[in-house]
Amino acid sequence: MSKPTVGIFGLTGCAGDQLAILNCEDRLLDLVALIDVRDFLMASSENQTDCALDVALVEGAVLTSRDAERLRAIRQRSKMLVALGTCAVWGGVAAMDRGSDRGQLIEEVYGDVGHGYDSTHAQALREIVRVDLNITGCPIEKEHFLAAIAALLNGDVPAYPEYPVCTECRMRENNCLLIEHGLPCCGPVTSAGCDARCPDLRVPCVGCRGPIADANPTALLEALEQKGFDRRQIAARLRTFAPEGVA
Amino acid sequence: MSMIVIEHLARVEGHGGITVELEGDKVTNVKFDVFEGSRLLEPLIRGKRYDEVAPILSRICAICSAAHTLTSLKATENAFGIRVSPQTELLRELLFRGESIESHALHLFLLAAPDYLNYPSAIALAADKPAAVLLGLRLKKLGNLVQETIGGRAIHPVNAVVGGFGKVPSLDQLIELRGGLMQAAADSDAAIDLMASLPAADFCHSETLYAALRSPSVDSYYLGDEVMVVSNGNRAIIPAADYQSLTNEKSVPHSHAKHSAFRGNPFMVGSLARLTVNPRRLTGKLAVAMKRLKLTLPADNPMDNNKAQALELINDLQRALEIIEQLLRDGIKDERSMPVQPRAGTGTAITEAPRGLLIHSYRYDADGCIVSADVITPTALNAASMELHFRRAVEQCAEKEEAVLARRLQMIARAYDPCISCSVHLVRR
Repeated sequence: MSKPTVGIFGLTGCAGDQLAILNCEDRLLDLVALIDVRDFLMASSENQTDCALDVALVEGAVLTSRDAERLRAIRQRSKMLVALGTCAVWGGVAAMDRGSDRGQLIEEVYGDVGHGYDSTHAQALREIVRVDLNITGCPIEKEHFLAAIAALLNGDVPAYPEYPVCTECRMRENNCLLIEHGLPCCGPVTSAGCDARCPDLRVPCVGCRGPIADANPTALLEALEQKGFDRRQIAARLRTFAPEGVA
Repeated sequence: MSMIVIEHLARVEGHGGITVELEGDKVTNVKFDVFEGSRLLEPLIRGKRYDEVAPILSRICAICSAAHTLTSLKATENAFGIRVSPQTELLRELLFRGESIESHALHLFLLAAPDYLNYPSAIALAADKPAAVLLGLRLKKLGNLVQETIGGRAIHPVNAVVGGFGKVPSLDQLIELRGGLMQAAADSDAAIDLMASLPAADFCHSETLYAALRSPSVDSYYLGDEVMVVSNGNRAIIPAADYQSLTNEKSVPHSHAKHSAFRGNPFMVGSLARLTVNPRRLTGKLAVAMKRLKLTLPADNPMDNNKAQALELINDLQRALEIIEQLLRDGIKDERSMPVQPRAGTGTAITEAPRGLLIHSYRYDADGCIVSADVITPTALNAASMELHFRRAVEQCAEKEEAVLARRLQMIARAYDPCISCSVHLVRR
């Protein structure tokens, strides 16, 4: 069997998901023996920028018309497109307040010079092109990336948790930060897969993996309102990493 | 008119390019174009409560996420008048060192070394010289182990919070980390051997202004309250609160990164600047390594930043070990983070991220919510200096042959270890 051809791309973001791939230090050289990495600008200065790809891994959100063009071109040359990380899957932190006036924000930051900048409000990949697989996380868990590659090499698709962070937190037998400590924890509405990393460290979940499909944000908002938190502020908190997360 | 255009820089973090315009042999224009999208995070965090600020602003950049987190926490603590425990200070310094080890190892062995040896990537380099790449990967992994142990995650640490840590590492974890660092002694030597074996990169000379935190202690240089600017024997001191007199940021049409200049002159931040401002730690093993790398300070070659990173790498390994030994000597205490009492006011923090000076400055309201935020990152600070060095490299190249120049310009850009996501940040005017 010939090795699948792969491209790894970053749109606008922090490069954390590409870095998570590079953080597979023990597996990296094995990995490049199994897949044929043709286009990976962050790691290589010689890339095939037009060849057909079996798999494109794309991180970051779409924040410029240049991003959108690149994404469409990547889609066109790829059999399978994988959204890598919360920005690609949900829009991420740049999308937290899409209602605000972009032109005004740009002017506030850059002054008049900013009017000429290529800048659009943040969009997830699926708002522009068809996405075949989502691997969420801010950043992705590197094990999820390796599982995806292993599954794809075997003609399979990987499965990721479809339950909230609370489930993993309970399995680790932690005290509940929300109920018992009154802290604004986003665990009940956030997609698991992180092994409840933050609440296990006594730090409330910030929702960085984006919402689960059947989340009940209303119940969480009410619970936190009863603890004395401002409803609007909590709703904004739940939107930090995914604009359509809740309410 | 002729032009040299590098459309999309490879082997760096983020999206940027270089354009050089020539009239005959005369350089008429040099641009470091940053077209990374602007996420406008600073205005977006207005109204956010103090505990949300570091987790959001850490997302400016993955490679520098620990530095962004820790600088953010310190700015918030300064605004609220919170003093963290000495143990917290040590653990934070350890987290900084872990990030620096990871970042420098990634940059030197996986991104920059292929340049010197004429390979397009570390993947290609590994086919011929696996030892060099494996060395880099081992050191990088060790840096990540430090970050995971102290920060809870290698990218975007979660365990460092306003006032301290969610959970301090256990005695067993620290002992394991100490073991890993002790085993790295051989790799530390090998890193210098490898760097010393690389061909010289001698194609850009320029008098350079260096800016870095002046460390009050010989041991650590991530903290300090003053920035020192050094140039040709002259020194200037800028207190942290006056950082704007250093940066004087202004927007430019060709780049989403603002440009900085001190008294009208571009300046360089990062490893080379830190060693130039704080030479006192360069004794013993470090002095020997410095000689082997043929580095003299102050340097007039921006490529020497790679040598400075190599020295910092071995210093970081040594310093991380010292910190763990001190924590073990003092006995690690299961401290909770300090109580947080928000108050209206401003707080500024300046630290040394792997790529240089990093500034976070916030104004809070009485409820502990952000009124305004200003973040200035090392790559933005370096942007003007990079353009200056691109210009010098082109001027000093006799043949002006495009392929030669393009390679040199990219090597200079990578020597700065630019983090372009970082550079595109938003600052209030």
